Amino acid sequence: MSILEVRDLGVAFGPIHPLSGVNFSIKKGETLGIVGESGSGKSLTAMSIMGLLPLFGGRITSGSINFDGQDLTKLTDRAWRKLRGGRIGLITQNPMTSLNPLQKIGPQVDEVAILHLGMSRAQARTRTVEILGTLRIPEPEATCNRYPHQMSGGMKQRIVIAMALAAKPDALIADEPTTALDVTVQAQIIRLLDDLVKKRDLALVLITHDMSVIAQTCDKVVVMYAGRAIEQGPVATIFESPHHPYTQALIGCIPHGLAENERLNRIKGTVPTVMNYPKGCPFHPRCPRAATICSTTQPQFASVGESSAACHFVIGDAS
Amino acid sequence: MSALLEVRNLTKRFSSGGGLFRKARSMHAVNNVSFDLPKGRIIGVVGESGCGKSTLARLILRLIEPSGGEVRFSGEDLLAKRPAEMRCLRARMQMVFQDPYSAIDPRYTIARAVSEPFTVQGIKPDGIMSNTVAQLLEMVGLNPGLSTSYPHQLSGGQKQRVGIARALALRPTLLVLDEPTASLDVSVQAQIITLLEELRGEFGLTYLFISHDLGLVKYFCDEILVMYLGRIVEFLPATGAAARHPYTQTLMDSTFEPDPKRRRTIEPLLGEVPSPFDLPPGCAFAERCPHATSICRVEMPILLADGEHRTACHNPI
Repeated sequence: MSILEVRDLGVAFGPIHPLSGVNFSIKKGETLGIVGESGSGKSLTAMSIMGLLPLFGGRITSGSINFDGQDLTKLTDRAWRKLRGGRIGLITQNPMTSLNPLQKIGPQVDEVAILHLGMSRAQARTRTVEILGTLRIPEPEATCNRYPHQMSGGMKQRIVIAMALAAKPDALIADEPTTALDVTVQAQIIRLLDDLVKKRDLALVLITHDMSVIAQTCDKVVVMYAGRAIEQGPVATIFESPHHPYTQALIGCIPHGLAENERLNRIKGTVPTVMNYPKGCPFHPRCPRAATICSTTQPQFASVGESSAACHFVIGDAS
Repeated sequence: MSALLEVRNLTKRFSSGGGLFRKARSMHAVNNVSFDLPKGRIIGVVGESGCGKSTLARLILRLIEPSGGEVRFSGEDLLAKRPAEMRCLRARMQMVFQDPYSAIDPRYTIARAVSEPFTVQGIKPDGIMSNTVAQLLEMVGLNPGLSTSYPHQLSGGQKQRVGIARALALRPTLLVLDEPTASLDVSVQAQIITLLEELRGEFGLTYLFISHDLGLVKYFCDEILVMYLGRIVEFLPATGAAARHPYTQTLMDSTFEPDPKRRRTIEPLLGEVPSPFDLPPGCAFAERCPHATSICRVEMPILLADGEHRTACHNPI
């Protein structure tokens, strides 16, 4: 039974439609990766799930976001306030800007349990100290009395994770949680998130531009390009036998772990901006397999083996 | 044959704070760094933020003045040069910066940005110039029509190509690349890296490639210098060489591969990089090192050579 299910999500900012046709679902204890390059719509998907689009002047134009039986697209502001930061937590990219620089760490984390779980200050602090401890933050009690500027980037990101966990969420949305961090710290945070998903039976939506992070952590993947999901499936299938030419090309662009004689793949052209999304398949101007139909007709999602792809000329389609 | 670039005991000290009631604190951003870069080779300098790799790049081109040490380029002692002599030499050694958004003056057209090196060197831009600009843009895979555009009209990848075109304008022999792809998408990174590979083949360039991404350095470079808190902790003479320093091993373990079958199961390193103002007396990595013994906390290990391979560690792997 899925805890979060997104169906045919479409988003508009005035006359511009930067996101359309996004579908996925996730169970508790599962990690779903959403991967794509800048401008592919992955952060917009996160904002839609968190109900934050109106803040930026956007709105959901089609589809539904079903969270544990309720359609999030129809929630009132009041209902959102209970859910957001409560049952669905958000971890953002930049821990330097997600924390209040003028407030000590303790009260910032306490606030979540006070607001969402109705705890007293003292109860909330006990809980905060406990959570900081499980996140392997040294000296949790002393940390509560520090200000964000006294902590390193990796520690600040742990505090942001602690805030997301404080209200006992069912689902976490992590938008590029390790992009601003050094590799050794990234490895720590990824490991931490992985443990949390398993121990607390969380549903984690991990949004990243980094295919290697996806390969290390996720169960399922959605690959996005130019505001659309173009391929999705189990992580092993996506990396072993990608069916969409873009997925295949993107994996070929990663320099990590290539053998001596392997060379990087070069995708010609550039990612289209939202003002000039091509007609038909958004990838066709850059695609080595493109034919006339690709420039006229938007390909529909069709299942290929264990995964599914939106392409007229799917790679490795036996049928 | 002597190397194109010889760096000896290069050191840069910065001090911070200090005033009426407080003593100034000083830190070594780059500490006693020595290496040779032979002509036509690519050396990668890898390390986490604050390890001094960008400072090292700037010191080599003398964009900032070293506190000590020596830099020789084609046998000439750079630190003994007067500013005018230095400017002449810089025609042969150029830099590509990390952030293409701030490396190009937003008020300059692309043509002006690319021809700026000629102006600096006192080569008057006249009739042949527009031709040269067009050639340079084509060389880095840009449409010459872009020469009348402004930087804000270009994507990040296009801007980085402009940065490379500008660096190559005077046909240098050495290019110092400071994280040239760090702010770019992976597909754009692949385009820029393949472009750099082609240009190297075409012009016989020598690269010093600074990056935080060990996976990328392993792919692109011939030799690797690993830095930690201002010092070289290991020099790998080949990208396939096995790590002997525990820090290098940690970096390798933390570099994820895009293969779900090869998931990392190692225990990630505890702790974080200590403050460079407050370094321990021994090995700077000792507090985080799984192999550390008592000697590591009191005595600084020196860089010892074993053949080509050099490691600064009391307990190498």
